[in-house]
Amino acid sequence: MHRQPSAEPPNGDLRVNFLRPRPGFMRREVTIIWITLTAWAILTFGFPLYLAFCPQARLPDRTIFGMPMHYWFSGQFLIIWFILVCCAFNLLIDWLTESYRRRRQERVS
Amino acid sequence: MFGELKLLPILALGAALALSLAVGLFSRHRAEQAYGVSRRQSGHASIGAAIASNWMSAASFLGLAGVFYLQGYFAFAYILGWTGGYVLLLVLMAGQIRRFGKYTAPDFVEARYDSSLARICSAVIAILITLIYCVAQYKGIGLIFAWLFGIDYTRALLLGTAVALAYLVIAGSLGATRNQQVHYLTLILCFVIPLMFIAKKLGYSWLLPQLSYGAAVTALPPATASAYIEPWAFCTPYQWIALCFTLMVGTAGLPHVLSRFYTVPNTRDARWGVVWGLFFIGLLYWSAPAFGAFAKAWQAGTGQTVDPAEAGFLADLIVVKTGEWTGIPEILVGLLAVGGILAAFSTITGLLITGAGAFAYDIYYRLINPRASERHLLKVAKGVTLLLALLILAIAVNPPGLIAEITAVAFALAGNTLFPVFLLGIWWDRANKYGAVCGMLSGIALTFAPVLFGHLVPELREWLPPTSSALIGAPLVTLIVIVVSLLTPPPPEQVRRFLVDKVHSP
Repeated sequence: MHRQPSAEPPNGDLRVNFLRPRPGFMRREVTIIWITLTAWAILTFGFPLYLAFCPQARLPDRTIFGMPMHYWFSGQFLIIWFILVCCAFNLLIDWLTESYRRRRQERVS
Repeated sequence: MFGELKLLPILALGAALALSLAVGLFSRHRAEQAYGVSRRQSGHASIGAAIASNWMSAASFLGLAGVFYLQGYFAFAYILGWTGGYVLLLVLMAGQIRRFGKYTAPDFVEARYDSSLARICSAVIAILITLIYCVAQYKGIGLIFAWLFGIDYTRALLLGTAVALAYLVIAGSLGATRNQQVHYLTLILCFVIPLMFIAKKLGYSWLLPQLSYGAAVTALPPATASAYIEPWAFCTPYQWIALCFTLMVGTAGLPHVLSRFYTVPNTRDARWGVVWGLFFIGLLYWSAPAFGAFAKAWQAGTGQTVDPAEAGFLADLIVVKTGEWTGIPEILVGLLAVGGILAAFSTITGLLITGAGAFAYDIYYRLINPRASERHLLKVAKGVTLLLALLILAIAVNPPGLIAEITAVAFALAGNTLFPVFLLGIWWDRANKYGAVCGMLSGIALTFAPVLFGHLVPELREWLPPTSSALIGAPLVTLIVIVVSLLTPPPPEQVRRFLVDKVHSP
């Protein structure tokens, strides 16, 4: 069976489910959301877990801008990381929305 | 403890309040002129500044530095929770909520779940959040007024509340709106300029104190430094992660944060506004740890010690105290005090109006007097504003914790109740009113159980600390909403169709 990625679901289908998104726009949107959330969660929650389980990770002699490495990572880098993650998410969603709008316009005309 | 009356900072505060009213009047004048020509906000950076100024309260301005001063690395849980939450908000909700097109949290809950009871639940939650959040702001106001006038905390709190209410009434009767961009700029300058002088005074690079405080941290004497830098000196990894997660889901569920997205022109502006907002909030959060570090560095350098009880009380004033201790010009210390007051006043104004509105329109109008006229409701709202203000005053006389801690309880409540209800409301068509109401009620119970019964059942405090209950609470409430929804009939078809056609289409 030939599956077209652009196929819109039938009109009677009212399913909205984050874990089982409808094919088409929503499925791609949810994929982007999962990628972003993974990038966000790994560094936010992975780093304290890493610090908790690997005490050698916070050697005081490794410094950056005069701060211990782990201190700088939590205090300054992670906020920059959040901003980058948000930018990447917005660019991807902009691209996705634009491509679906164009496709819909082509179908109308 | 608070010294004598400080004339210059008091004059600066008076001037700042008068100026902010004048700017508000001017903004309204301009808005009226542009009325009818479809007034658009002028770009993503401007939306971002509005998001940031709406966000920055006494907790960010005063509270964070206090937690750094007392607990070092632990405070990063607050910083990361309050910034990382915006990622969650952007990715899961911002665009969809904008497309849903409802103005307040109760509006959204009623439209999505098709139930007045769910609306009333969410209104009660919004009022509780207002109460808790404002107690923290009042504590900040009380401390700063005590410092400004050299009087004790309780009298300062009364004076501060009176000034705050007078400001609210004058702004309201003049019809002054707040210019969010000017407000943000004022706050960030009031925070960063004195910080630069403090860094210079202590002999660190003044150009970027956000980076140069690193040298102050490493130069601390070994005993102080290890407690300040060591990640688990004041908490366990579980407590750190639980607090961070709670503040994140709380950010994504706070009614006054969510309502910012309804006022932007379109979904794309809402999304890019968040990125700018995060950057502007970051400017403050990159700087806040520096106050704690410089305060410690000054104490180590001069050999001054503060006894622990006094340190705990002074912590929330540490931003101002650092300026005073290091001996920067008094007017600059005054700027820090002015910034703290402006942040607290604007937060109180916004929250009291939201809380009173929720009571008048969502509870009084729906439950008590459905035939009330618009004028009557306005009177009720004004009365409730005053009542709320007095209730908050009564709690704030004996503040139950640090500013940041009190605020965190409000975040826990939002994360345990509104976050699951919003998340499932947007991302699961099958979630229904029964699930939402059960979820919100159990979320309220989960938030307040450790506060009320913590002394009876110590395990409750251990696993559900009042500031950090959403790590367990939010997933549990989500599960409750899902199970109850599956056991009861699905929501009406027009709601589900609206979700598919409007909220989730490109």
